[in-house]
Amino acid sequence: INHIVHNGGLYKRPFNEAFEETPMLVAVLTYVGYGVLTLFGYLRDFMRQWKIEKCQNATEREEQKDFVPLYQDFENFYNRNLYMRIRDSWNRPICSVPGAKVDMMERVSHDYNWTFTYTGRVIKGIINMGSYNYLGFAQKEGTCQEAAAKVLSQYGAGVCSTRQEMGNLDKHEELEKLVARFLGVESAMTYGMGFATNSMNIPALVGKGCLILSDELNHASLVLGARLSGATIRIFKHNNMQSLEKLLKDAIVHGQPRTRRPWKKILILVEGIYSMEGSIVRLPEVIALKKKYKSYLYLDEAHSIGALGPSGRGVVDYFGLNPEDVDVMMGTFTKSFGAAGGYIGGKKELIDYLRTYSHSAVYATSMSPPVVEQIITSMKCIMGEDGTTVGKARVQQLAENTRYFRRRLKEMGFIIYGNEDSPVVPLMLYMPAKIGAFGREMLKRNIGVVVVGFPATPIIESRARFCLSAAHTKEMLDT
Amino acid sequence: MNVGVAHSEVNPNTQVMNSRGMWLTYALGVGMLHIVLLSIPFFSVPVAWTLTNVIHNLGMYVFLHAVKGTPFETPDQGKARLLTHWEQLDYGVQFTSSRKFFTISPIILYFLASFYTKYDPTHFILNTVSLLTVLIPKLPQLHGVRIFGINKY
Repeated sequence: INHIVHNGGLYKRPFNEAFEETPMLVAVLTYVGYGVLTLFGYLRDFMRQWKIEKCQNATEREEQKDFVPLYQDFENFYNRNLYMRIRDSWNRPICSVPGAKVDMMERVSHDYNWTFTYTGRVIKGIINMGSYNYLGFAQKEGTCQEAAAKVLSQYGAGVCSTRQEMGNLDKHEELEKLVARFLGVESAMTYGMGFATNSMNIPALVGKGCLILSDELNHASLVLGARLSGATIRIFKHNNMQSLEKLLKDAIVHGQPRTRRPWKKILILVEGIYSMEGSIVRLPEVIALKKKYKSYLYLDEAHSIGALGPSGRGVVDYFGLNPEDVDVMMGTFTKSFGAAGGYIGGKKELIDYLRTYSHSAVYATSMSPPVVEQIITSMKCIMGEDGTTVGKARVQQLAENTRYFRRRLKEMGFIIYGNEDSPVVPLMLYMPAKIGAFGREMLKRNIGVVVVGFPATPIIESRARFCLSAAHTKEMLDT
Repeated sequence: MNVGVAHSEVNPNTQVMNSRGMWLTYALGVGMLHIVLLSIPFFSVPVAWTLTNVIHNLGMYVFLHAVKGTPFETPDQGKARLLTHWEQLDYGVQFTSSRKFFTISPIILYFLASFYTKYDPTHFILNTVSLLTVLIPKLPQLHGVRIFGINKY
């Protein structure tokens, strides 16, 4: 279904998103596939219970058989019977830097994936379509690496303290000023772990008596942070502005559920690019709604910072909007900058408040200095401040790669989800057998991809996810 | 093995019956079962229909009302562990379209079976008893009820 833009006046560029519905025949066959696997699962469990087949899972000891069981063995059903059959497509050990090409250690399994043995051979030069390496900064040569090595010899690898005690280095202050300048906000604060940024800061911003409106497909870190905060959570349909508006209207008209008092705060949680769908948030409409109903916006740009926009500044830049409109801009350095950690940017009062009240500022150790230096160098490179045009070239290369890859895949006839411009490309496979087969065939052709199936996605929407990078050349994409 | 990584649905089991094509697959599955039973030369048409009805109700009872919990670990900290699949559907909201569909389909099978068995008494008793075992657990008053402590834990 191609989404027709209702508020077309707000968008300065075409917004093409497509989530094609599953063809009916494919859906029926997928259910048949899962049904057959379930029946075989019950059969194997039956044989395992009657000792016809050996049980290779962990079992209780003989003397503990009469105790109340610790785990329900049905909960392990899917894991035992479906996941074990195709387990070799996940958790693959790699032994080189995950750039455009990666080396992987080869594993074989003689007992149908219950145990793995390493053959000792290393498969070299696998084209890496699974790392979030959007601008190609995950490399072992180059200016970033030299700068990081220099800082490592100067500052050491560990900080051994939290931000509020002895862990606030001058490098952190420099990084925060740089991030604030990059985003176009007043000030920013950085944390050592991207997941922890979300889950530890949302409880500091909202509490009981506040309302959180979060998208259907928000990441686990946002969901965890929302639940930890104790606020009421309402979910609106993915990227659906009518659903969001209806929820906002209901919230303001009816107030809190029992007492009818007005909500203390309304926070809208959205992401820049959704990593499993490849769709981009309809930011102009969200900002218009936010202003109309006077609520706050929390934008998680984990995948979109550095990857979208003509100068790589993220989804705000992509739509050409004012970064002051977004109240809390959050992002991670893991994806495009080739480092680790997260940041939150916004008004100065907000960041000063977070410096004192955020859980990770008080309890979590701060970022390690070589990582900080990597971010500083890569960010300066993207902004063009180090004097070369390498940053701009990378951003443009990524955009070209995205368009070319999507166009070619569509021509080949695959069903691709998501926006035309997002570097995350989910290719729909539907049947459970195809998930395993696709992963293995891709490895045979020296391409590494990430496949996901039920229950991480809805039952008829299992997919393989390609993450494009500026480091991919056209020949690599053509293979 | 991450449940709910790509969506904030805490228990995907609740939405399985609502997905696209599930009802069609279910109808096709029952049809296939009936054709297989009809093709066995020993069974006459009434016997085949009664057998379809009974086997379908038995399967429905086992999968929807006897098996508890989910086949994967959910992030809802075990709220659904003691609930059968029927009770988990749509998080316990009654009278949704899936629930109505799965209540009506054994009734339709019952009508067809009683027509094709020409209302013979033995077949009638068998069909009615089997229909009752599958209809009574679906009543909203029996949500979470375990009679005589059967299937409690």
